[in-house]
Amino acid sequence: MAQFLQQLVNGLSIGSIYALMAVGYSLVYSIMNFSNFAHGSVIMLGAYLGYYSMTLLGLPFWLAFIAAALGTALIAVVLERLAYKPLRDRKATFLYFIITAMGASIFIDNFVIATIGPTPKMFPAVFAQGPILFGKIALGRIDLAMFVISAICLAALIIFIDYTKMGKAIQATSFNMKASTLMGINTNMVIFIVFAIGGALAGIAGVLYGMKYQVFPQIGGITLKSFIAAVFGGLGSLPGALLGALVLGLVETLVSGYLSTQYRDLIAFLILITMLIVRPSGIMGKNAEDKA
Amino acid sequence: MRAFMCMLLVVAVALSGCTGAAKVDTIKIGWFGPQTGDTALWGQAEFNTVQMIVDEYNAKGGLKVGSKTYKLDVVGYDDKGDSTEAVNVAKRLTSQDKVVAIVGAQGSGEAIPVAPIMNEAKIPLVASTATNPKVTVTESGAVNAYMFRACFTDPYQGAVAATYAYNKLGKRKAAIFMTVDDAYSAGLSEFFKKSFTKLGGKIVAEVSFTAGEKDFRAPLTKIKASNPDVIFSPNYYTDVSLSAKQARELGITSVMLGGDGWPSENLISLAGTALEGCFFVNHLDFSDPSVADFKNAYKAKFKKNAELNSYMVRDALAMVIDAIQRAGTIDSVAIMKALETTDIQGITGHIKIGPTHDPVGKDAAIIKIVGTEMVFQEKIQAQP
Repeated sequence: MAQFLQQLVNGLSIGSIYALMAVGYSLVYSIMNFSNFAHGSVIMLGAYLGYYSMTLLGLPFWLAFIAAALGTALIAVVLERLAYKPLRDRKATFLYFIITAMGASIFIDNFVIATIGPTPKMFPAVFAQGPILFGKIALGRIDLAMFVISAICLAALIIFIDYTKMGKAIQATSFNMKASTLMGINTNMVIFIVFAIGGALAGIAGVLYGMKYQVFPQIGGITLKSFIAAVFGGLGSLPGALLGALVLGLVETLVSGYLSTQYRDLIAFLILITMLIVRPSGIMGKNAEDKA
Repeated sequence: MRAFMCMLLVVAVALSGCTGAAKVDTIKIGWFGPQTGDTALWGQAEFNTVQMIVDEYNAKGGLKVGSKTYKLDVVGYDDKGDSTEAVNVAKRLTSQDKVVAIVGAQGSGEAIPVAPIMNEAKIPLVASTATNPKVTVTESGAVNAYMFRACFTDPYQGAVAATYAYNKLGKRKAAIFMTVDDAYSAGLSEFFKKSFTKLGGKIVAEVSFTAGEKDFRAPLTKIKASNPDVIFSPNYYTDVSLSAKQARELGITSVMLGGDGWPSENLISLAGTALEGCFFVNHLDFSDPSVADFKNAYKAKFKKNAELNSYMVRDALAMVIDAIQRAGTIDSVAIMKALETTDIQGITGHIKIGPTHDPVGKDAAIIKIVGTEMVFQEKIQAQP
């Protein structure tokens, strides 16, 4: 029983990382209708920004968070202007966006390998070592911080989308971009804001990931999992991304814990494929087309 | 007449080709290993070492082979720690660059698939730290004629770790924590298990993770439930440090024991205090006086401490150079024959190549992690 509860805690903590990443994916997807595969690389840059803010600049960790979030928001916006805007202006199909995103991702990853180097780096210790114990169940301090920070970010995002004018504009644009433009919504501004928010979430996710594990150029690779979580929950839906991420984290942990690690990805992907066949829009998805 | 002219031309071309070849006074030695990826640190350390030694020889005027003196040249490629990439670069080294021998191939996962290429090209390879038995001996038990190594093997290393855990540390219940898709880790686990159970110990848990994993808590929670008194973790230092931290976070206090994937400048900085009091099997003791000259030369040149791989590839290259000199020619087949009778004093120990192309009876060093130091405990030999 203690083992089962411990595995649940493990699963939820992995799920909460996937969630922060998956929400960034879903947000961009809901507006642009393509999967921004460069999101993973922005997360990786966020981890490095946080790391260097703490080690080189000596910032306290909450300031490092803000610095990384601002930095990646800027990077995401610049990326949109340089890589995606020219495509939008030419009304390119979504396939070109995906290929451009992959290209940008490979470029950024290799740029970091070439300049900073491939050796993993360790964040300076922020929290006291040793877990908080509840009977036999150990809860890591960093995991607890992750739960809290992820929850705050996601709550702030949901409030922003549901209760502000800009949030309403984002919803309208995601519903129909052409009609929104006709109604006088500045959709270019909406896209700008969406990339900035997605980038800031990526930065926070990157710093959290780096603190929990290590900082290395291939961090972006893990976002494949958060993409699966986003599809599973329903691409374009924020609560869906959150739910999908937590479910995926739990499934992975329980499979590794009770069957074997070799079966983990096998079963995770099996669930994804089954989901796509039975309910293509995901748990909470808005439409069933273009899951790419 | 025209036919005769043609023939003359052909002969002339052929002759000029011959004289061109005879003028070559460089010995090309190949190297490959990871210069990017998780294990890049070791690949870079190896390549630095090979270049440093080659430069030393050239500065002294080159290498005398028979009556001729040659310059040495090293051709190195990045295999990214990936088996497919290793096969590609080995093909390039043997067919395009025409090297006389290769050193490096540090991981068993890369060295094993390369073996058929070396046998076909008839060019010898001396692996630095590829410890899996299949590097030199195939599945069916035949010796790979062109594959050699400077290090001891996994059965030996596994037996050393098991013997130390059982006899010296008095441990009876071991858990194995391994990388399932890595030949090195899986091999070492198998041989540890064999030796440990033969000695009378019990394996209480055998759990695994896949390479590239960063969250180990699911398998570690399984280990915790089995309550072992020692955890055998034959993995690479990045995984070792991260998994050790997570194990401590889960409240696992058992001592950990590992192999030659542990020693690295970065191990302790990545692990913090999570590996305090743990042990690993190494190829040498870094404070041994016989490695001091090399260690200092490396540090002076690269402003960094030499990695384990630096020492190992240094001896692998010494084996090749010794074999070239004894063969008295730069013919690859002759070098291979000479390598079979290698009997030299390397800086990592005495290297006498046995019938399976592995060094026989090499000492292993047991190292303990104390604070930020790696402290030598003792040299031991074991019966695999």
